[in-house]
Amino acid sequence: MALIKWEKDLTRKGGQVLLSSLPIAMHCHHYNINLQAMLEETFGEIGIDLMCRSAEEATYSMFREYFKRYPNIKTIKSRIELACTLYQSCGLGIIHFVSLDEEGGEAVSPFSHYVTGWLAKHGKRDTPGCHFTRGWIAGLCNLLYEKHLGYFKVAEVACKMMRHETCVFKIAGSHR
Amino acid sequence: MAIDTQKIIQAIMEGSKYRDAKGIIPIFGVYLSLFSVDYYNKLSFEFELMMEPSRQTKAEQLLIDAAQECGYATFHGIRTSKEWEKIVQPMIETQEDELQGFISVAIGLGWGNIELVKLVPGENLVLRATESYEADGYISRHGLSKSGKCYMLRGVSAAFMDLIYGDSYPEGYNTFTAIEPKCRAKGDDFCEFVVQKSHKKEYTC
Repeated sequence: MALIKWEKDLTRKGGQVLLSSLPIAMHCHHYNINLQAMLEETFGEIGIDLMCRSAEEATYSMFREYFKRYPNIKTIKSRIELACTLYQSCGLGIIHFVSLDEEGGEAVSPFSHYVTGWLAKHGKRDTPGCHFTRGWIAGLCNLLYEKHLGYFKVAEVACKMMRHETCVFKIAGSHR
Repeated sequence: MAIDTQKIIQAIMEGSKYRDAKGIIPIFGVYLSLFSVDYYNKLSFEFELMMEPSRQTKAEQLLIDAAQECGYATFHGIRTSKEWEKIVQPMIETQEDELQGFISVAIGLGWGNIELVKLVPGENLVLRATESYEADGYISRHGLSKSGKCYMLRGVSAAFMDLIYGDSYPEGYNTFTAIEPKCRAKGDDFCEFVVQKSHKKEYTC
């Protein structure tokens, strides 16, 4: 079953591209990876945190609107499925939630825009680098469980940028 | 033959609906992603704020450089892609046409309504944009600005001239630089980018 109506959801209004009713931009791996490298080189961990928070906030806002567009998709399981489909539709890669509840869980990503882009531009790295995806997961989880931004913490414990087989994300609620 | 911007936009919109089995969108020689402009705006403008006041100019320059290098690599990839060869190349007769082709792609990517105002071949360029997501984003987050805030379009404008009038790729990077004397984030009616020869020519790709 097609979860989303991509043809209808992706539209234009003047110079803007809209996903549902939200303005989006298309950017390539050169820009996305340049921004990541700039943040890491300039501010280190603080820069990484900014990238995560930016993705978390934007994902939270995006899905808050997007779920309104699909009111029949109500359960957490079906909303996760919708979100993962949208992740793929947006060219961000493939992501699966292995487990998730209010306490936390685990997600894996066998392919991603950021991994493909980083490896193409810089090759292997020594530390996990999927900061965007960490923020994306956190933003989605906060919304699914009606928590405030920053409630869920996401750590990347394996990363394909380090030549691990897949990217693995551990998700934990703040009370843990 | 004039550049058919609508045809290029249509090709991008159609192409962006195709992703491979890995969830990646390979189009025009690059990997494309679609994401909320809020992400880019929060990231850019908070990055600026995180810099000490004395280093604000440095923050601006880093954001512009990230975009110029991106624009240079991206649009080189675009103009050597099979999609460009099939869709855009047949419309190109002059270097100005190639520039207009770049602008049409940028519009297609959702970067704003961009208009070529003036071009002195090999010397300078003036572009105007409405609906720049950076200007919109800055105003909604911080109110009116005292300076131009469209760092991405500023870098990309210079990259266009680097590619068309600079040395052959990749030696032409940083041949040009851009300023943004008018910006909707400052209250102007449009954002304006003036590109001219750079004094900082160095290859850092």
